Amino acid sequence: MAEPQPSSVHEGATTGAEIDENEATSNIPKSAEDRATAAAMSSLDTRGAEEESVAPSKQLDSEALGKAMKNLNVSGGAAPAKATGGAAATAPPAEKKKAVKVDQADVTLLTEQLSLAKPKATELLKAHDGDAVRAMRAFVTAA
Amino acid sequence: MPQILSPKDASLFRQVIKHYDAKQYKKGIKTAEQILRKNPQHGDTLAMKALILNAQGKNDEAFPLAKEALRNDMKSHVCWHVYGLLWRAEKNFEEAIKAYKFALRLEPESPQIQRDLALLQMQMRDFQGYATSRRAMLQARPQIRSNWTAMAIAHHLAGEYTEAEKVLTTYEETLKSPPSKTDVEHSEAVLYKNTIIAESGDLERALKHLESISKTNLDKTAVMEMRADYLLRLDRKSEAEKAYRELLDRNADYRPYYDGLEKALGLDKNKDKQALKELYDEYAKNNPRGDAPKRVPLDFLEGDDFRDAATQYLHYKLSKGVPSCFVNIKSLYTDDFKKNTIQDIVEGFANGKGVRETNGSVEDKSEEDANAFKSAVLYFLAQHYNYYLSRDLQKATSYIDQAIELSPKSVDFHMTKARIWKHYGNTQKASETMEQARTLDVKDRYINTKAAKYQLRNDENEAALKNMSKFTRNETVGGPLGDLIDMQCMWYLLEDGESYLRQQKFGLALKRFKTIHDIFDVWQEDQFDFHSFSLRKGEIRAYVDMLRWEDTVRSHPFYSRAALSAIKAYTLLHDHPKLVNGPLLDGVDGDDAEADNADAAERKKAQKKAKKEQQRLEAEKEAAKKQQQQQKSTAGADGETKKEDPDPQGTTLVQTKEPLKDAEKFLNHLLEFSPKIIRAQTAGFEVYIRLGKYLLALKCLIAASKLDSQDPVLHEQIIRFRKTLDSLSEPLPPQVSSVIDAELPTLLPKDTDLAKFNEQFLARHAQSAAHMQAALQARRVLNPDAKADIEKSLSDTLALPNITLEQAQEGLATLKSWAADKTKREAYVQAAAKRWPEASAFQSA
Repeated sequence: MAEPQPSSVHEGATTGAEIDENEATSNIPKSAEDRATAAAMSSLDTRGAEEESVAPSKQLDSEALGKAMKNLNVSGGAAPAKATGGAAATAPPAEKKKAVKVDQADVTLLTEQLSLAKPKATELLKAHDGDAVRAMRAFVTAA
Repeated sequence: MPQILSPKDASLFRQVIKHYDAKQYKKGIKTAEQILRKNPQHGDTLAMKALILNAQGKNDEAFPLAKEALRNDMKSHVCWHVYGLLWRAEKNFEEAIKAYKFALRLEPESPQIQRDLALLQMQMRDFQGYATSRRAMLQARPQIRSNWTAMAIAHHLAGEYTEAEKVLTTYEETLKSPPSKTDVEHSEAVLYKNTIIAESGDLERALKHLESISKTNLDKTAVMEMRADYLLRLDRKSEAEKAYRELLDRNADYRPYYDGLEKALGLDKNKDKQALKELYDEYAKNNPRGDAPKRVPLDFLEGDDFRDAATQYLHYKLSKGVPSCFVNIKSLYTDDFKKNTIQDIVEGFANGKGVRETNGSVEDKSEEDANAFKSAVLYFLAQHYNYYLSRDLQKATSYIDQAIELSPKSVDFHMTKARIWKHYGNTQKASETMEQARTLDVKDRYINTKAAKYQLRNDENEAALKNMSKFTRNETVGGPLGDLIDMQCMWYLLEDGESYLRQQKFGLALKRFKTIHDIFDVWQEDQFDFHSFSLRKGEIRAYVDMLRWEDTVRSHPFYSRAALSAIKAYTLLHDHPKLVNGPLLDGVDGDDAEADNADAAERKKAQKKAKKEQQRLEAEKEAAKKQQQQQKSTAGADGETKKEDPDPQGTTLVQTKEPLKDAEKFLNHLLEFSPKIIRAQTAGFEVYIRLGKYLLALKCLIAASKLDSQDPVLHEQIIRFRKTLDSLSEPLPPQVSSVIDAELPTLLPKDTDLAKFNEQFLARHAQSAAHMQAALQARRVLNPDAKADIEKSLSDTLALPNITLEQAQEGLATLKSWAADKTKREAYVQAAAKRWPEASAFQSA
């Protein structure tokens, strides 16, 4: 029926996850006899066959691939540094690490009063220039 | 120093791994022990033995062994890897990541360790770490497509859209020739790239890209839907209109398409009614069997137009005998005019007024058809008068009785009858009637579950389980209940738990709620397999959807309901530690000695009974165990061994030393994922104020007042908060008080006279029972001497015209919690019984 569902109900929210049988069949033991010990360790995990079972695509141009990898290495090497560059959603605190002095007594106060973990409490205090009252007020009124 | 194996032992070691792979654990252990006899210090073998023990479910033996392995061979990546795997099995992912990283440092080339690490990082949503791992994997094996896709996912989820897109494009450019048309992985990867472009906000480019791939893509529906959506959002109305019309040609029963088409045409449901009507009429004409084009107009039509359309719609549905007709229509009842019109129309049908003009040939109808129509109409009316917005239970009963007379074997009709009893508040008769409906079709699982649910509502837990057992695999460990838990049958667990909570059997109640809590853990766990599986299958869009769903999985109503009930149980346990031993039969905190004595005697009896019950259960369990062992010996050691639940009665849960701390486990999830449920906030207040965490209590009050500043529970809590703060034995830390001084005034102006504040609230909501109850509750906190007066006022709420049965029951509970005199309670119950003569709650004092 075309009745609209209340927005709190997610489609398919009640169905549990199903796992394809392939998951199990990919566990078939390979002949480990002639393999060196180290290689045999490769199937330590039950899901060991992921990579092996996928044959490389035949249409792959190995030359182009080599080039692509080179490009990737360039950008890959630089990526961690400019991780925040194109990203709107990455965490901002990396940039504004001001040198805020935080009193350990305040941290303890916050962990006790607000049931926060230490790093969180410190972060909260830093965001409010180490002012415990302001930090706690912000925490209490946050939606 | 690590020992070095002789060639013979080394080959034995390979055997161990082989056995582990083949899940031949016993053989594996045997071989490992053979090696260890000669090389007792060999780290890798010890580690493998630990891993196998863990796989056998003996993790308490596995851990010390793995640690010993590490002591013997700190430099072995095998030992570290195993150590990580053991932590993973314990679900301590942080420790597991640490161990994997160690292993990886010793053996940077190992793809297995790298992969295990990556999977864990995704599970922990460590996107930066995942990206690093994925980059390494990609560099090791660039020829595999899924490595590229995974790299893109890493960037995408970290919010780096351009990077993600670039990775996918780079791979596409390496392809010599276009992939074959049946290459699903390619088709999916390309669409995935498209969603990334769209999510980055560049719809123009997303549209262009989509059009470039639309011809060859395999998921036609997705392409068309995305295209229509982009066009609409880009404000290219006429193209969007065409796109939505194309979609409707494929499926004219899908509401979102109509919504899109309306928007594309610039039609507003509040203004352009005529144009919309024509639009829907056209679709209705072309799709005579479709529901949506006929049903949607009822949402926006008004006046005579509505009457005509509704008459036609209802007549059509009812003459077809569509059982879900009422369910499909009831959302219109929020509009009084529509509700009354529908009532008129269908009552007209019942009195023989058909819509003859619409399908002229009424006379041709056989008598059977006429009967079917009649019972459909009666059924509709019974549901109509049973619905909370149009409730008249007497009429509902009369209609359903007539309907049952016409078709005495109808499961649906009896079910509705049970529902009517439920709304009368008579859980006993509701349960009996539903059971009767069940016997009409014992093979129907739906009615079976309904019957069980109604039995639980009537606290017949055993009967309910017996009914459920007709559809469960009863040879599972733990019997039918064990199977229900395995199958994650949450509605049952929830109703069962709530029933036990009503009966004040806290152990069993908490047991059920804890099970639900654990099921959500399992759901969180379940995604683990998909981190590798989805990549292998190439179903990336669905995978990303799944990840996002997992992030908010605990906002599910099942979780919040279980959490609220669990918190209620724990706070009650905190307030009345005596409850641990079983229900206090007559209210809590009975203060007159006589009642207390009677209580104690009865409680003793109840305890005795409970003990006996437990002994019986244990004896049964013993017997079952014996039987099972016999079966097991024949079945052999293979197959998964399931651990028996060591505490089926939940005794350890109920005997907790710190009930509030346990409540916090539920509360934290609840407040994180369902902060918009006001009851979550008020429940949070109850926990925090008892814990003395006043700032967190205040946070809950503020959040609740943002949701509904006039909420009755909130009102009473604000007063209690202030009152508690005023009478603290020790002053709060100065910073804390200054926070409270700064923030509390938004809820309660400084220097407010609490009594006056309360009376004002009372006057403002004099017609609402829930508000009255809360204000009276507050008055009692403020002025305990006015007991008699307050109790009388509470009884007076029973006379309010709009008080509901639930509220009246709530009032009785309140009265009990005040330890009111027996006479007072009896008077209340009598007054309530007069108003709700059928309600089980008021059958006896």
